[in-house]
Amino acid sequence: FLSYFQNLTSQRVLKEEDLAPVLETLRNHLIDRNVAVDITGVLSESILKALVGKKIGTFSRVHTIVSTQMEQSIKKILTPSTATDVLRDINFVNKTENRPYSLVFVGVNGVGKSTNLSKVCFWLLQNKKKILVAACDTFRSGAVEQLRVHVRNLTSLCENLNLVGKVELFEKGYGKDSATIARDAISFAKNNEFDVVLVDTAGRMQDNEPLMRALAKLVTMNDPDKIVFVGEALVGNEAVDQLSKFNRALKDFSGLERPRQIDGIILTKFDTVDEKVGAALSMTYVTGKPVLFVGTGQTYTDLKKLNIKSIVCSLLGQ
Amino acid sequence: MLDEVIKDIQRALFESDVNARLVKKLTENIKKTCKLDEIPSGVNKKKLIQKTIFDELIKMVDPGTEPWKPIKGKVNIVMFVGLQGSGKTTTCTKLAFYYQRKGFKVCLVCTDTFRAGAFDQLKQNATRAKIPFYGSYSETDPVQLAIDGVDKFKSEGFDLIIVDTSGRHKQEAELFAEMKQISDVVQPTNSIFVMDGTIGQAADGQAKAFKSTVDIGSIIITKMDGHAKGGGAISAVAATGSNIMYITFYLPKFNLLFSFIGTGEHIHDLEPFTPKSFIGKMMGMGDISGLIET
Ligand SMILES: Nc1nc2c(ncn2[C@@H]2O[C@H](COP(=O)(O)OP(=O)(O)OP(=O)(O)O)[C@@H](O)[C@H]2O)c(=O)[nH]1
Ligand SMILES: Nc1nc2c(ncn2[C@@H]2O[C@H](COP(=O)(O)OP(=O)(O)OP(=O)(O)O)[C@@H](O)[C@H]2O)c(=O)[nH]1
Ligand SMILES: [Mg+2]
Ligand SMILES: [Mg+2]
Repeated sequence: FLSYFQNLTSQRVLKEEDLAPVLETLRNHLIDRNVAVDITGVLSESILKALVGKKIGTFSRVHTIVSTQMEQSIKKILTPSTATDVLRDINFVNKTENRPYSLVFVGVNGVGKSTNLSKVCFWLLQNKKKILVAACDTFRSGAVEQLRVHVRNLTSLCENLNLVGKVELFEKGYGKDSATIARDAISFAKNNEFDVVLVDTAGRMQDNEPLMRALAKLVTMNDPDKIVFVGEALVGNEAVDQLSKFNRALKDFSGLERPRQIDGIILTKFDTVDEKVGAALSMTYVTGKPVLFVGTGQTYTDLKKLNIKSIVCSLLGQ
Repeated sequence: MLDEVIKDIQRALFESDVNARLVKKLTENIKKTCKLDEIPSGVNKKKLIQKTIFDELIKMVDPGTEPWKPIKGKVNIVMFVGLQGSGKTTTCTKLAFYYQRKGFKVCLVCTDTFRAGAFDQLKQNATRAKIPFYGSYSETDPVQLAIDGVDKFKSEGFDLIIVDTSGRHKQEAELFAEMKQISDVVQPTNSIFVMDGTIGQAADGQAKAFKSTVDIGSIIITKMDGHAKGGGAISAVAATGSNIMYITFYLPKFNLLFSFIGTGEHIHDLEPFTPKSFIGKMMGMGDISGLIET
């Protein structure tokens, strides 16, 4: 009975041995939630550093302390340093520089670039923008027709909803150089007073050098306002490799002293992963860039803002 | 020592997206079967453990029977299913092309009325490969398209009819119901689940759901031309045979067979699946050839 009182008043210093097993459990939990292994490692290292040597009350549970610290670290990674107000950026460029704002959608095959480009287009239409969609995937069968259908759908949606926005397709068919088409699209948009150019590109594997060079060329030639990396929530550890190699290719193949890098992320197929939302963390950690939008389905309205709280919940919850 | 080696291997498996539960199972089993104290000195313990895990994984993906093959002169109907963007439409043509060159009378049916440009995609692929195809710009019911397409080609005496379907996921019940309906009218000889080789921890749940809705006979893993190791896909196979997995660790002879891996966007980029090199690559073992011989 006496010792019970003693314990209450005494303090304990956190040692690595106390923390390690808890961290290990938490790490495996995060891996199961589809966070890339590397990133779980970095997280647990930093938490170890932050907590070793700290004094805690005897009855505080190490688990709670570690979880709280983990939650903070995750929130920090998910909270971008750069602003994410795309609309404001567009308005700014339109007004002050009197030119269209351009976004290039890049990523590996089949992640949802074209579909989410169309969703962004719908969002911009709702915000009264005049948009040019540039069909710069000149490789994959049906890629041009896919965009044509979207532009047609969006146009009739606009009519039905009485939106003042307007959208047109700029295409030159298949087999042509995508960088040149993007350039022509942007200058067409400028001459015809479009507010935004959305550039669709072909999917490509991050290790495919010729295709990565072609992408770097498109970026260098057109210096778009935003390079948007489209990544799917389904992807596992590859997320890290994809993003770092897209960035590296943009750097290595640009020939520029100050090369462009990925500016933001669209995280797609979020509706297919339940609580396994770890890709959100992997992607933001690797780039330090914000998730601009989350794709949550296959219709035009399935585009949401990232809800950091709910990501943390899904990652750490049972 | 043992713990360290196991940690290393666990890490390699995790990094290849092998499902967490499966990694745990494998680890437990290693601890049980590898009596490290009894190994004479001189034997490389890490190699031994690696080899044990390697064998386990091989057992998992190699049921020891031949993958499904269409039979010439019969009506073989193959239905492709899978998550959005996994590579179904591309792989349909690859498979069609592969068997066309083997002398089959092959054709393609597009039932994807949902994705913008889906019919154009299949049409352009098929035209380039000179494969007859069926689809429609106006019909919006995939089940009707499936019926019409399959009937047409059946009556024309084709022996391999490949049916492409829209991408879908388990969270949307209606999409799964639609898949079931298509399967019911098509009565496929074989249903192929197409899985993206980069898939992570969600693989398991999705694969289970597909398997319990339609009778999947084969899996094709796509996009293995990249850097991906395909561990998520491997886990999905384990997941679909999971009831048995719980009883005995030695993974059962489930009837899912890996038949091919897609290795590129072009029509020739289709390779037969070879378990040993696949697992070797997945485990990040550079020196697998040595391992396989032992
Ligand atoms: N469930 C779900 N499906 C999505 C989402 N975004 C896109 N898709 C689907 O994913 C598939 C591929 O989408 P695309 O937009 O064609 O992908 P892409 O990246 O342009 O593909 P490539 O140009 O071939 O590299 C389509 O079936 C889309 O409907 C999403 O947020 N949720
Ligand atoms: N690099 C590479 N790309 C592939 C492979 N298989 C398919 N792709 C690409 O992946 C993207 C999606 O392929 P699709 O065949 O449209 O996928 P899908 O499953 O039919 O998509 P939905 O019908 O929208 O569900 C396209 O860009 C393909 O060219 C592969 O093995 N390697
Ligand atoms: Mg596309
Ligand atoms: Mg398709």
